Amino acid sequence: MMPADAQSDDDRADRARQKAQEARLSKPWVTPRGWRYWSAVNNSEVGRWYTATSFLFFLFAGVLALLMRTQLAVPENDFLSAGTYNQIFTLHGSVMMFLFGVPIFEAFSIMILPQMLGARDLPFPRLSAYGYWSFLIGGVFVCGSIFFGVAPEGGWFMYPPLTTTYQEGLGADIWLLGLSFIEVASLAAAVELIVGVLKTRPPGMRINLIPLYAWYILVVAGMILFAFPPLIAGDLLFELERAFDWPFFDPARGGDPLLWQHLFWIFGHPEVYIIFLPAIALVAMIVPTFAQRPIIGYSWIVLAAVGTGFISFGLWVHHMYTTGLPNVSLAFFSAASEAVAIPTGVQLFCFLATAVAGRFVRSVPMLFVTGALAIFVLGGLTGVMVAIAPFDFQAHDTYFVVAHLHYVLIGGMLFPVAAGLYYFYPMATGKLLAQKPGYWAFWLMFFGFNVTFLPMHLTGLLGMPRRVFTYPADIGFDVLNLTSSIGAFIFAAGVVVLVLEVVRPKTKQPYAKRNPWGAGTLEWLGEMPGKPWGIRSIPSIKGRYPLWDQPNLMQDVDAGRFYLPDAEEGKRETLITTTIDADPIQCLRVPGPTFVTLWAAIFTGGAFIFATYKWYFAAGISAVLALVTVLIWLWTGTAKIPEKRSKEAGLGVTLPLYASGSTSVGWWAMFITMIGDMSAFASLIFGYFFFWTVHEDFPPDPASGPGLFWPLIAVGLLLGAWLLTVLARCWNRHDRPMAFHVGLGLAVLLNVAGTMALLAGPYLSGLDPTRHVYPATVWVLVLWAVIHFGVGLVMQLYCIARRWAGRMSADHDIDIQNVALYWHFMAITAVLTVAVIAGFPMVA
Amino acid sequence: MAQRMESEPDSESEALPERRETLWLLALSPMLWMLYFLVSYATAAIWCAKVVGRDGSLEGARIAIGVYTVLTLVGIGIVTWRGFRKHSFGTATVPHDFDTPADRHRFLGFATVLLGGLSVVATLYVALAIVFIGSCT
Amino acid sequence: MDATKCPPGMRVLVSLTALSSLSGCSGPQSALQPAGVDAEQIGQLFWWMCAVAVLIWLLVIGFAVYATHINPETHDSRAARWLIIGGGAIAPPVVLGALLVFGLPLLPSLSAPAEDGLQVTVSGERWWWRVQYPTPSGGTVELANEVRLPVGERVGFSLTSPDVIHSFWIPSLGGKVDMIPGRTTRLTLEPTDVGVYRGACAEYCGTAHALMNFQVVVMEPEAFTVWLEQQAAPAQTPQSSLARRGQEAFLANGCSACHTIRGTPADGVLGPDLTHVGSRLSLGAGILPNDAEAFARWIRHTDQIKPGVNMPAFAMLPEGQLTALAAYLSGLK
Repeated sequence: MMPADAQSDDDRADRARQKAQEARLSKPWVTPRGWRYWSAVNNSEVGRWYTATSFLFFLFAGVLALLMRTQLAVPENDFLSAGTYNQIFTLHGSVMMFLFGVPIFEAFSIMILPQMLGARDLPFPRLSAYGYWSFLIGGVFVCGSIFFGVAPEGGWFMYPPLTTTYQEGLGADIWLLGLSFIEVASLAAAVELIVGVLKTRPPGMRINLIPLYAWYILVVAGMILFAFPPLIAGDLLFELERAFDWPFFDPARGGDPLLWQHLFWIFGHPEVYIIFLPAIALVAMIVPTFAQRPIIGYSWIVLAAVGTGFISFGLWVHHMYTTGLPNVSLAFFSAASEAVAIPTGVQLFCFLATAVAGRFVRSVPMLFVTGALAIFVLGGLTGVMVAIAPFDFQAHDTYFVVAHLHYVLIGGMLFPVAAGLYYFYPMATGKLLAQKPGYWAFWLMFFGFNVTFLPMHLTGLLGMPRRVFTYPADIGFDVLNLTSSIGAFIFAAGVVVLVLEVVRPKTKQPYAKRNPWGAGTLEWLGEMPGKPWGIRSIPSIKGRYPLWDQPNLMQDVDAGRFYLPDAEEGKRETLITTTIDADPIQCLRVPGPTFVTLWAAIFTGGAFIFATYKWYFAAGISAVLALVTVLIWLWTGTAKIPEKRSKEAGLGVTLPLYASGSTSVGWWAMFITMIGDMSAFASLIFGYFFFWTVHEDFPPDPASGPGLFWPLIAVGLLLGAWLLTVLARCWNRHDRPMAFHVGLGLAVLLNVAGTMALLAGPYLSGLDPTRHVYPATVWVLVLWAVIHFGVGLVMQLYCIARRWAGRMSADHDIDIQNVALYWHFMAITAVLTVAVIAGFPMVA
Repeated sequence: MAQRMESEPDSESEALPERRETLWLLALSPMLWMLYFLVSYATAAIWCAKVVGRDGSLEGARIAIGVYTVLTLVGIGIVTWRGFRKHSFGTATVPHDFDTPADRHRFLGFATVLLGGLSVVATLYVALAIVFIGSCT
Repeated sequence: MDATKCPPGMRVLVSLTALSSLSGCSGPQSALQPAGVDAEQIGQLFWWMCAVAVLIWLLVIGFAVYATHINPETHDSRAARWLIIGGGAIAPPVVLGALLVFGLPLLPSLSAPAEDGLQVTVSGERWWWRVQYPTPSGGTVELANEVRLPVGERVGFSLTSPDVIHSFWIPSLGGKVDMIPGRTTRLTLEPTDVGVYRGACAEYCGTAHALMNFQVVVMEPEAFTVWLEQQAAPAQTPQSSLARRGQEAFLANGCSACHTIRGTPADGVLGPDLTHVGSRLSLGAGILPNDAEAFARWIRHTDQIKPGVNMPAFAMLPEGQLTALAAYLSGLK
């Protein structure tokens, strides 16, 4: 009797302790109510908004597709005018690619990645929120344009000179600035996700144990860093031509329309894989669950993800096979385009092998996965065909390619996303979606899809070009097009069934049981419905499928027997671990709800949107306000000095609350951001050398260039600014505030002087950027560098102010650490800029 | 699925050749391929645009690209060999999913080997271009 | 040619793809009904790739259906591992390598130069085609919106554009090549069958991109020579009084600011040459039949027929003048 009593006493005490922990834990993580709800930054809220918004954009673009199919149902139709049709196909492509394809992966990842990693939140929740609001504002702006008849009509690829010289009106500017704004948001998400995967894993989740989804996200976010910046650089050149007549793409003044095609497709082809890989990542999570066994070929899938990531950057010219490039270039890109099919095939066989080896359970998600496989394999095979340049000479820009790309994207992305929606819906809402509507939706979508797109292969080979608003009767296109149009509506009916099931009110429906699919990965650890804190305590991981491998994991997590079960200081906290072996190294305080990110997004959006209308004054004011808001955000919300050095994180581990330098997440974010920044800069330099290869006299006689004198002065001064910034970091570390302030103050002066000197080169030699592409190219490099030194200046002043205000100290030096890192890249920028604009004319 | 509560003996982990590991070796083979691809493309493009003109012979560029091919294959071979050494460290076989530094070490090695294989195939494919194309047309 | 001339074995596939009452591979713009050496080569490549692709698709999907629905029980995971190695790592590199070995040598073959053959210059302009042929006397003659070629001769095309990017494509004869402002691109074609085909602009070039087509006539060499001589000659003087009034209207209404009619004072160069416009197979860059009625419609409703076109609509012309103009132009054989 006595021992049992004692035991129940213990139990009671234990339960009371747990209750108290839960109460303390829920306080900081509480979701704001009322209108303040929109100040939430937690990954589950932002992820939900993000997912819903990108689905809305998908539905919008889908309606546009139905309008197109209605127009093309019969020959010589006048349902839509040529101009309207062109706007609609441009928006359909742009919205599907920029507002659905890429964002839906970011949305899903923001929502499920922290859960999968047993983290309470992503390392920069406010950055996610900022990205979301930017995405919303930019997306609504771009989509809204169609209702005023001013939507872009240059195709989603926006080839100049059609779009630079022959299309008046706002359309092209809306496309360029609206989407550039969204690209910035995508880059923000990429930074967030990379740091998330590398640094917020649960203890024990070594690099050989991380969920495959995380591997894919790591690869895809890395690809975004190298793929989006070339487009941003291209957008910059493009807008400079449209707004200020700098002739980058105007052949009359030495420009070349092909430069845009290179920059666009260096982005555009990896983009396809950026859309495809995360969807396959969903499949890689779903298949093992329904085969009820671990994936077979984990390492092979990692090979496939990493290999695809690299090879996909060697494919861009296969969109330019018909531009008259030398055969040898075509052959290189044909070869690479075939090579990329190998890793893609490996992934599919890994899934097949897992399905074969396991006991296969039928379900709606798995049905969508199987349908995806059937569609995608066909798309992949036609991809292998069009990758062979000679066949592409016929197929390029025809409906064959329309069919191919929809097989790839709908099979490789939409169907897996639908599977993911069904699969992860209970995780996000606590309720299961019903089976029956799922089967209906699948079969309508699958059947409708094939009726729409299978005939298009033949339509294309019979000679129907893409992007035509009409076609003549009696040359063989009629029946095929009518079939496609009918199929499109069946497909749409399937989507409607799916959407209705998702939005159907489910208040009376009971919550699903925990881990409803019997999955093995951590995201299913949560209660139904999920708690705002995400995970009760952060477990220690011993295998790839912890819920299968570790008995009692759920009970132990719930009882708070692992890391961070409590929030004694009432702060939002999550674990930071090492990159390879996931040893805990820091307890990171993550920020809570705020409206500052919303304001920052509104002002940034204003800067881009006002610039569209050429209201540069308003745009300037908006940009300044955005800068001020961001500074307030940084000043009040980041690099806070904690009240104590370290805390007990559970399981007898004591972790520091503050880290700077290469162990801190902020440093990683800065490093990753600057890698992306450098790839935009490299794209501009590529532009310079591209013109060198197409022109006999580029760069012209050195006398007409910026000369050597001023650029050399500039590089000297700027390297001085860099050196002093780095020294200031050391002086700060050694707690020498005087040296720090004087050094950084001097760095500011050198920076300003160096920037002036850099401008003096082209300015004093009278280079007029509107006259010819050479001065324009020099100016754009200088402009790029000057903007960056301007940002560097703000950072230097910010550090001085932080130290004055006592928000930075010798031990708490995140700010200066990150700024010094930024300045390393500025040193590279300065040297490269000067080497190209002043050095290359000397050797050429 | 196996129970993975018990770890392997720690002595094996202590014998690891390196204490701190990075992801760089993993990415090295595809990076070499990428470098090879871009340099070959640039060589051919510059050769045709600046040296022999639009209908010129590709001969010189072909030799250069042939040399690049050999160098790349050697480079990938070395990386793959190092990957293989890591993969075969100790005694365990795939799937390398134990929660030990040694298995993490083997996993990274195995992935390196696989990526090396892919890079070799991709390199050979690209080299086919100069086998079949002889002019700048 | 109809579906029956597609390679055997493909018929099943084609009839599946075409779903129902379709005419299979045929059509005036069909890449699957080759009338030229290049289209033939590409067509063969396509049918081979298509056959192998269908086979692979059936194998993979058949296997997936077997593993998930017919026999969903567990299987030996060691065998499954071999599936990855065999199906993922060994088979694809071999198949794709073979494809490259067959596909890449086509590149030099397709761009084989037209040594002593005819050289035609085509310029894509929004939204019509300016075509220039060399004359036997060593000059050039400018035509528009129609390409005629001698059968059996390898013909070179120099392609360019003064405004935006277009793409010159005659599916029956071969692949397409873009026309890029500031560059001259090249294409060679070798027609093998006499006949009338249809070409189109394949690169999106703005509002009326869909309405930028042309007729291609492949002729016996002798007939071609006669045709070219006739095209190089100045325009016929109008015979009927109606046509004469039409000519007067043409000159009086400013048409000559943009159009040339060789042998008359009309020497504009912005729009298509109309010297022998009546001899062409179509009007408005392959969108209208060529008769007096179509001319009248075109002149009166230009921007409705072709949205965004540079030519203004002459809706204000009196009925009589319009009829005369149409009669004159359609009579320029």
